[in-house]
Amino acid sequence: MKNLTMKTWWMQSKAESTRMLRNPYFIFWSLTMPIAFYFIFTRLLNGDMPNAAQWQAHYLMSMAAFSVMGASVMTFGLRLVQERTQGWSTMLRTTPMASMVYVAGKMTAQLLLNLLSVIVIFAAGWLINGVQLSALQWITAGLWIVAASLPFLALGALIGCMKKVDTANGVSYILYMGLAVAGGLWMPIDVMPSFVQNIAKWLPSFNYADGAWAITDGTAPSMIGLLILFGYLVAFMVLSGYVRRKQEAV
Amino acid sequence: MTNVIEVNHAVKTFRAHTAVNNVSFTIEQGSITALLGPNGAGKTTTMSMLLGLLEPTSGSVKLLGGAPTERRTRDRIGAMLQEIAVMDGLKASELIDLFRSYYSRPADREYLIQLTGLSPELLKRNAQKLSGGQKRSLGFALAMAGDPDILFFDEPTVGLDTSARRRFWNEVRNLASQGKTVLFSTHYLEEADREADRILLFDQGKIVADGTPTEIKRTLVKRSVTFLTEQPQVVTALIAEHFGSDIQTEVRGDQVTLFAEDTDDVLKLLLESGPAIRNIRIDEGRLDTAFEQLTHSENNETREAI
Repeated sequence: MKNLTMKTWWMQSKAESTRMLRNPYFIFWSLTMPIAFYFIFTRLLNGDMPNAAQWQAHYLMSMAAFSVMGASVMTFGLRLVQERTQGWSTMLRTTPMASMVYVAGKMTAQLLLNLLSVIVIFAAGWLINGVQLSALQWITAGLWIVAASLPFLALGALIGCMKKVDTANGVSYILYMGLAVAGGLWMPIDVMPSFVQNIAKWLPSFNYADGAWAITDGTAPSMIGLLILFGYLVAFMVLSGYVRRKQEAV
Repeated sequence: MTNVIEVNHAVKTFRAHTAVNNVSFTIEQGSITALLGPNGAGKTTTMSMLLGLLEPTSGSVKLLGGAPTERRTRDRIGAMLQEIAVMDGLKASELIDLFRSYYSRPADREYLIQLTGLSPELLKRNAQKLSGGQKRSLGFALAMAGDPDILFFDEPTVGLDTSARRRFWNEVRNLASQGKTVLFSTHYLEEADREADRILLFDQGKIVADGTPTEIKRTLVKRSVTFLTEQPQVVTALIAEHFGSDIQTEVRGDQVTLFAEDTDDVLKLLLESGPAIRNIRIDEGRLDTAFEQLTHSENNETREAI
């Protein structure tokens, strides 16, 4: 039975990865958009920044974070709602596959694809601007962006509790864009009004990108940022667990 | 023969509404059983409890001696639900491979491919782009992925064309002959009559009749005798005198129809001591009529109870 579980998990992860790669929205939002943005904001605009190399490295991290955050909030959550409303989850419940394996397969696929996005976007940064980081910086920044995206996966799971695809679509889109803009992923928060800056410091998106920015500057992600991200992770998990139990009780 | 399904006083209540009201039955291995009834009769709810998708409010449901929610049980059952959902972004052949990985003793891959009835080109197409009937055939193959001992089909032939339907039932009969147990729900009366060894007739959350299609017809349907006569009043009076209200009569001009369980008795009486009759025709009651009669009488009883 243990071997079977491993095999199911592997097949499930493979199937989920295949589905994502075939989804044109995923390619657009996770790869095309961030790379296009990166090109526009580092080559076409802001070309004569005083500290160009730092800006190019920072903005590369912002776009990688934007990509991974989007995939976690949008794709992961929406898929859960779709599969429930279309009856696919009900069908799977009649099979011997444990629901844990189903979720594990989904998360594995998401993490793999996120890793792929990070690699592609990093490569784009290197090709477009010749961004120079040490091997250790590339690796730690990449791992940070994949691993610290967990709170967003949990947020996706929370969105996944929604009953209607349309609602989930709208809510996740607003959250995604709101978090990206207010968290300083599109432009540095220094250029924003001070009240936005005060809010941003407490947002998961800012602290997520801030960790990667710190790594490119040669320092480590801040402890407070890590704690804030962890807090969001716990909060989203508890909340979605609560909503799920409540839904099952009816 | 062993019982592979055991349902004991199962009740399912949704808030104020009782969808299944104290249902008990057992199903023998290797049989094909139809859950027949109008929409909202409790067929799908019963099936959902059998599949472990719904927990009975009270009573118990057992499959192969275990709870339907146990992994061991689910490894040996297959289901095709009313709404066929297909995961988007995967090909039919990939879905088959995926489903085979869920079970401890998957069915032969080639056999499953053949069950879908899909051409090699269609197998390579995104499964979501298949037509409703093609999706259903794929659903059948997915239900068979674990080489199950018990198969559940909820309204299996909705949306299938005649040849796909024929292929489906041929395969089902073939599976039953191999000792697999099949339970399906339908509101196609002819389908239950033709395909099932046994019919459980559902109405308003209860089983109102249980037996072979022939038994159901014999016990519930009255045959009818129709003939022409010059003196219909004499005939009805004679019938009323001998049989009381057991036999319903219908007179249209000089045509008389008598509904009776035993048409021989009626004819004997009429030919021996009645007026001249001609053009005698005996009609075998059909299952649809039985069904109507049943649901009607049930309705009336409930109305009286209220």
